[in-house]
Amino acid sequence: MQILSRMMIALLAVGFLSLTTMDAQAQVNPTAQSVNEDSMFEALGADGNAVAGRTSIPDQNAANLIKPDNKAWAALQGTTLNFVFIVAIVGMVVLLTLFYVIRGRIRVEAGMSGRKILRFNSLDRFAHWTLASTFIILALTGLNLVIGKTVILPIIGENAFGSLTAFGKLAHNYLAWPFMVALALILILWVIDNIPDKVDLAWIKQGGGLLKKGVHPPAKKFNAGQKVVFWSVILGGVALSFTGVMLLFPAEAGAAADWQFFQTIHALAAAVLSAIIIAHIYIGSVGMEGAFDAMGSGEVDENWAKEHHALWVEEVEVKAKTSGTARASTPAE
Amino acid sequence: MLVKRRSRETATAGRLSQMAAGMSAKPMDRRSFLRASGLSIGGLAAVATMGAGLTQRVEAAGFTDMAQPIEIKKNMCTHCSVGCTVLAEVQNGVWVGQEPAYNSPINRGTHCAKGASVREVVHGDRRLKYPMKKVGGEWQRITWEQALDEIAAKMGDIRETSGADSVYLLGSAKFSNEGSYLFRKLAAFWGTNNVDHQARICHSTTVAGVANTWGYGAMTNSYNDIRNSKTVIVMGSNAAEAHPVSLQHILEGKETQRANVIVLDPRFTRTAAHATEYIRFRPGTDIAVINGMLYHIFENGWEDTEYLAQRVYGMDQVREVVKDYTPDVVERISGIDGDTLKRAAETFAKERPATFIWCMGGTQHTVGTANVRAYNLLLLATGNVGSEGNGANIFRGHCNVQGATDFGLDVGNLPCYYGLGEGAWRHWARVWDVPYDYFVDRFDAVPAKGGRDARTPAENMTIPGITSTRWFDAVTIDSEEIDQKDNIKAMVVFGHGGNTVPRMQDARRGMDALDLLVVADPHPTTFAALHSRTDNTYLLPICTQFECSGSRTASNRSIQWGEKVVDPIFESDNDYAVIYALAQRLGFADEMVKNFELVQGKFGMEPTPESIMREINRGGWSTGYTGQSPERLKAHMANQQHFDLVTLRAKPDAPEEIRGDFYGLPWPCWGTPELRHPGSHILYNTNVAVRDGGGTFRPRFGLERDGETLLAEGSFNPGSEIQDGYPEFTLGLLKQLGWDSDLTAAELAVMEDIGGGVEDAVDGVSWSTDLSGGIQRVAIEHGCVPYGNGKARAVAWNLPDPIPVHREPIYSARPELVAEYPTNEDRWQQRMPNIGKAVQQSAVDRNVAQDFPIILTSGRLVEYEGGGEETRSNPWLAELQQDMFVEINPADATARGIADGGWVWVYGPEGGSKARVKALVTERVNAGLAFMPFHFAGWFEGEDQRGNYPAGTDPIVLGESVNVITSYGYDPVTGMHEGKVTLCQIAAA
Amino acid sequence: MARMKFLCDADRCIECNACVTACKNEHEVPWGINRRRVVTLNDGLPGERSVSMACMHCTDAPCAAVCPVNCFYTTDDAVVLHNKDTCIGCGYCSYACPFGAPQYPQTANFGTRGKMDKCTYCSGGPEEDMSQAEYVKYGANRLAEGKLPLCAEMCSTKALLAGDGDIIADIYRERVVTRGYGSGAWGWRTAYGETVTV
Repeated sequence: MQILSRMMIALLAVGFLSLTTMDAQAQVNPTAQSVNEDSMFEALGADGNAVAGRTSIPDQNAANLIKPDNKAWAALQGTTLNFVFIVAIVGMVVLLTLFYVIRGRIRVEAGMSGRKILRFNSLDRFAHWTLASTFIILALTGLNLVIGKTVILPIIGENAFGSLTAFGKLAHNYLAWPFMVALALILILWVIDNIPDKVDLAWIKQGGGLLKKGVHPPAKKFNAGQKVVFWSVILGGVALSFTGVMLLFPAEAGAAADWQFFQTIHALAAAVLSAIIIAHIYIGSVGMEGAFDAMGSGEVDENWAKEHHALWVEEVEVKAKTSGTARASTPAE
Repeated sequence: MLVKRRSRETATAGRLSQMAAGMSAKPMDRRSFLRASGLSIGGLAAVATMGAGLTQRVEAAGFTDMAQPIEIKKNMCTHCSVGCTVLAEVQNGVWVGQEPAYNSPINRGTHCAKGASVREVVHGDRRLKYPMKKVGGEWQRITWEQALDEIAAKMGDIRETSGADSVYLLGSAKFSNEGSYLFRKLAAFWGTNNVDHQARICHSTTVAGVANTWGYGAMTNSYNDIRNSKTVIVMGSNAAEAHPVSLQHILEGKETQRANVIVLDPRFTRTAAHATEYIRFRPGTDIAVINGMLYHIFENGWEDTEYLAQRVYGMDQVREVVKDYTPDVVERISGIDGDTLKRAAETFAKERPATFIWCMGGTQHTVGTANVRAYNLLLLATGNVGSEGNGANIFRGHCNVQGATDFGLDVGNLPCYYGLGEGAWRHWARVWDVPYDYFVDRFDAVPAKGGRDARTPAENMTIPGITSTRWFDAVTIDSEEIDQKDNIKAMVVFGHGGNTVPRMQDARRGMDALDLLVVADPHPTTFAALHSRTDNTYLLPICTQFECSGSRTASNRSIQWGEKVVDPIFESDNDYAVIYALAQRLGFADEMVKNFELVQGKFGMEPTPESIMREINRGGWSTGYTGQSPERLKAHMANQQHFDLVTLRAKPDAPEEIRGDFYGLPWPCWGTPELRHPGSHILYNTNVAVRDGGGTFRPRFGLERDGETLLAEGSFNPGSEIQDGYPEFTLGLLKQLGWDSDLTAAELAVMEDIGGGVEDAVDGVSWSTDLSGGIQRVAIEHGCVPYGNGKARAVAWNLPDPIPVHREPIYSARPELVAEYPTNEDRWQQRMPNIGKAVQQSAVDRNVAQDFPIILTSGRLVEYEGGGEETRSNPWLAELQQDMFVEINPADATARGIADGGWVWVYGPEGGSKARVKALVTERVNAGLAFMPFHFAGWFEGEDQRGNYPAGTDPIVLGESVNVITSYGYDPVTGMHEGKVTLCQIAAA
Repeated sequence: MARMKFLCDADRCIECNACVTACKNEHEVPWGINRRRVVTLNDGLPGERSVSMACMHCTDAPCAAVCPVNCFYTTDDAVVLHNKDTCIGCGYCSYACPFGAPQYPQTANFGTRGKMDKCTYCSGGPEEDMSQAEYVKYGANRLAEGKLPLCAEMCSTKALLAGDGDIIADIYRERVVTRGYGSGAWGWRTAYGETVTV
């Protein structure tokens, strides 16, 4: 069935309304009145519409004759986003390297106590690692779509790169779902502890103690830096999830312009979040002694905990005393 | 010559990439491409209906292997009448590609959507694959032998009990000329005049109107000649969709001549979009519009007085009649204001040459013949017939509707418009070499009934048969009411859709009531699916014209020879073989084909089209179908590049065998092939000598009327030895002129023989009955036209309205005008009563216009053709129009809560008819008008009839037929139905 | 080397769809894939014009810019082609294309579009010219045979022109001069960054 292109017909109907309604039987000169490209483009304005009409095939998009704005998206996608990604990723890596060179690894200053405190239980860790692993694959496969053709394609050739990317796309499409589940889980598990409070202000004022040795601003279970990561992950993740689902189901996304908008948000969010996560990975591994254990075994050294999460340690101890069980703190001996 | 080089070859493979190659995607093979490309997925209902068969066929065809030899076959498009040459590339018996036929002067390589997709027809996925019959409501495969034996036996039974006239032989405009002629011969040998074809429903009124005006029922000029026109009026034609390639000539003419293109149409068509002036009017008011133009022309003295004096009879009477059509009256009837019409009339009269194009918008009316006559009067008054760039350019419908008309697939004619009189029968009996009495024996005697006199067989032979628009009435009507021995009991339908005439509810009743229904067609057609028949229903798979050879006549009378592209696919066979095989079983085959060369065909012997054409050449004197030997026609096809684009004439550097010929030897091509008449590009053209294709108006209505001569006065062709009007040539006239001495002894002997040695009879042998061609030869040698030099008739006294006057449609949206402009009186015609007047009055009395306030008109879509069965089975076309729809004005839609693309019910004014279609809300139709295309079928009043087709033969796209809604109304001259004006109501579904 | 372009003269185009079915016919394009289509602007109103549109084979093709796997390439004739072996069906090109050229065999949901398909200017793909493998994936290769795209060759009114950009621009210019009007070289500005001025 034929399709009515809402925008264009409405737009042009205005111009010809006078002719058609004036007198239905009036004579007209169709040749002299014919539309031309210049007038159509003029009527189009700069609002991202298409020169559109009617076509007899069912594909709605086919009625759009020319959509010049697609070129703008193409330029954004083809060059700008590429650049943003490279700046974000490379920038962060450079930043962290500098940080490492200047500050070095952040040690547990009091040395390891040997006493462990359970920081994250197995559910916490499962959720974290599900999120982490899917994110990494999503990030890499996503990144591949943006810069793979400049980085990987020349190395492995276009056939192999095509297959790699095809598999990558599959992985990206399917791993998005466990990612979203883990994201929801994390939100439920940790949202209470990540609500910002006054302590965070102090923490931030002291730069989190990252910049100077011996400075350890107190923090609850999550310090402000971790809260930033958490909320970045939640907000970024939700943005990525929503836009990602829209990209997967373009029919639901609305018009092509909507899809393009979602795609742009998706890419920008991915760039920013990837950069943050790189920092997160850094601090959770090489950047800070004793940090990895929190997500490794789930148990952290008491001294580490006291240095970085003093208030949390107190809470845990209070809780342990009141409950009468020595669940949280177990001597190493 | 283009050479393609790529800037980058497929990635040069490094070592790493070679290692990775193992994991790369498998190269897609053809099957996986198809799988991946959408054929194997659902989503669209239509796709789901495409079985595995298509996929396989697609894989088999299409790829051209350049290493293998390619044969080029030349044929013509089988859709409209433009006659586009199709160049087929054939490899190993498979049609693998279509190439542009640049050499054809008609289409110059181009096609429309249909022409560019004709190759699909021999994919044949949806074709009828073998003969079938219905047994207990189920379709069963049977053999050709069984099918034809049973059909012939049943026809024999019906002949015994009800008579020969009870078998209706419905032929086709898709036949080749030879097939048409053979089918007409079949009817003659069977003994009935109940033989018809699609011309009834497209241009029968044109043929009647035009022939009654100036002699021949055909387009006077050609598509190409429109390039010469300064003014083109297109009225009731949407050529952009119906004849797209003609627009190449019209638009190029419009550009190079800066021509005025004026489109008069109730609907702003795609043709109108390219006009320089578009004028909207109320459907069915053509005569008022034309008479209104004539009013201005006479009022201002814009008529061509010299032309009228020399070549036209009775225009003064017209002048009197059109005085009543003042601007006010015309505006009241048609809606066109006086100034607009005056401007159009002035342009047409003054900016000459001017041509008038019409089509079914003009012809499919209760006033069809009168409409045509009105158009003719406008042309005559302005002196616009008979030379370059002017004329009545009638765009005919099907690929060979002109040829099929020429060869008498018509209830009132033997081949080549000889009529049905005894003289005509005797002429053809001579050509066929069968005694006249043989045919008398074959016809029914009609008993006296219903107050009518009895008829002898010899009399019955001369009575026109029942028109194809009324066949179902002739099945179900009370036997007393039908003017033949008995009702129609059997329909033998070759290549004809069942959804092409109004009143489908009644057509369905008719189909149900038949004793025998035979459908011979490449596709099952609506005739196979509409009804609830359980038995005595046969389907015969006929191949298309691409699977056999033969000639076809384009709208401009050019005859083109089509070459067989591939063998008939599946178990289908060609018309010649099937008609011959049926005739064998009916017992008259030997007599029927005695002059033909028989060759071994697919399943048996069959007559060759060449030998049939030679017989046509021996008998077709009246229409000048005598010079077009198969050899000449084939030479034209082989040398297309030598014909001029505008004049259609072979240039001086052309090979000797075609030099000076007009392309396709457009009839009349006088005399024998040896005479080398070039054919007539432009009819009635007095500017050139007869031997160069000149002509005059044909004096076929007598020599004088009311004391006024009907012969031309002071107008004649260059080189004419009679420098005035003259009657048709007979041997007697030659003797009077002393030109008989130019005849050879052999020629005289033939005439002697025809006259039976009786002197009066011998002298009476005329240019049209002289089988020797001598009379034509001598007349032309003296510069004269064999049929004489007469005047065109502005007054056709033998027609119901000798001068056209406005008459309201049967279902008029303006009932207040009916009393003033009623339709014609009820009458008997073509063996049936026509009660249009009673129906019209009843509609007024019942206030139908109040309950059905929207005028419904119908027309064509470019993607489909005719009943649409073939084109709706072609996925390349079907994809482009997937739903039947109704065009409705935004105002009407809003008032009814109808959204664009939504489902609606369209209700018709008769029998509670209704159709469920999609709404297309558009300004193309004005408020109060709706439009529906007529190519759909397979749904009936909301019911999907897909299951009624034999499995695998259902067209991809089905939909409601507009003719469920269209209603009663028949032209009093030809029985043409009213397909363009009825009333309806539309509601959201 | 010729710079191939399409030019649709909307004053000639009558939406007869010959270009569409010629394309289907020449390449056996399956149902649902519309390499070429005709769009009618101002449908049913005075001023109505139709334009036949397919891939315009743009200068600096935006599809190529966004393709994550670089499957597009431009031939010396300036025809933009693509490699179905490497195409991952991501759909980006369809959002980058101003003309709606890229087509997919499947519905787009869940990233299962299948390999992209589009007008090849009747010049196949990266496989060997006129090979069966090329035909199966991309259709016929008329350019390699020395022929032009069939859609333009079969255009009923010769509205759709294909060939070297300079030549078809000249043909169009001549028409505009002859008839005194013209509605513009639709899509040229967007595709080629220039238009035909008379």
